[in-house]
Amino acid sequence: MAVGRRDSRAGQDVLRRAGEASVLILISLADGPKHGYALIHDIKELAGVELGPGTLYGALDRLERLALIEPLPADDRRHPYRITAPGAAALRVHLDSVERISAAGRLRLQVGGI
Amino acid sequence: MNGPRTARLVGTVLRCYPLRWRQRHGDEAAELASLLIGDGTPAGSIAWSYLAGAAREWLTPRSGRRSSAVACALLVAACSLGVSAGLLASARPARAASTSQSHPRARCWPGSPEPVLGVIPATGRPQMIVRVGGHGRSC
Repeated sequence: MAVGRRDSRAGQDVLRRAGEASVLILISLADGPKHGYALIHDIKELAGVELGPGTLYGALDRLERLALIEPLPADDRRHPYRITAPGAAALRVHLDSVERISAAGRLRLQVGGI
Repeated sequence: MNGPRTARLVGTVLRCYPLRWRQRHGDEAAELASLLIGDGTPAGSIAWSYLAGAAREWLTPRSGRRSSAVACALLVAACSLGVSAGLLASARPARAASTSQSHPRARCWPGSPEPVLGVIPATGRPQMIVRVGGHGRSC
């Protein structure tokens, strides 16, 4: 059944409902550990999105609870975070899913001649 | 906004977070706020972001904090707000009645909208009346 198949896919893509901030944080951490201030700057350069500090800490806590990131020993008062192996796997699954949807959207635009 | 005032504002907002969160992120969050303010981010938007984050933090059910406990806390907060509003409302009518009759703003002046606190005679309850171009509209 189509609905069942969609639900099982959603189960694999744990980031589907995690929100844009969580995905952007994982993408930013994909090339190495960063602390909060570095994350905000990197995400602004990467995606043009200015994450508020409240949103940042909420997303960091959520990702840590899901074991997708982990804190490293504090450097002064700053806690760097790094992506975990399950986090990297979840990000790959999510990006694949986004690519599939994006390709389907482009194809439909071509077919529609818009 | 100057430095000490900004620091006080951010400090006040950070105190809205649960203790567990403050112990974990409090120092870093204060430092991050000062760095962002140094970069030119408005202190108000940082404070607002932390305030929204604090609300989310309290409302998100955690292990060890049951959702019923969260609901109870919200109910108590709503009740205390209601009681405060009730006390304010009961204290206002006499004062509002005297000011709405004698205060020049209570008359129908044409011009820009301005809120006036008045009493609707039928109910005796204080209501905010916005006067636009001389016509009163209660809201």
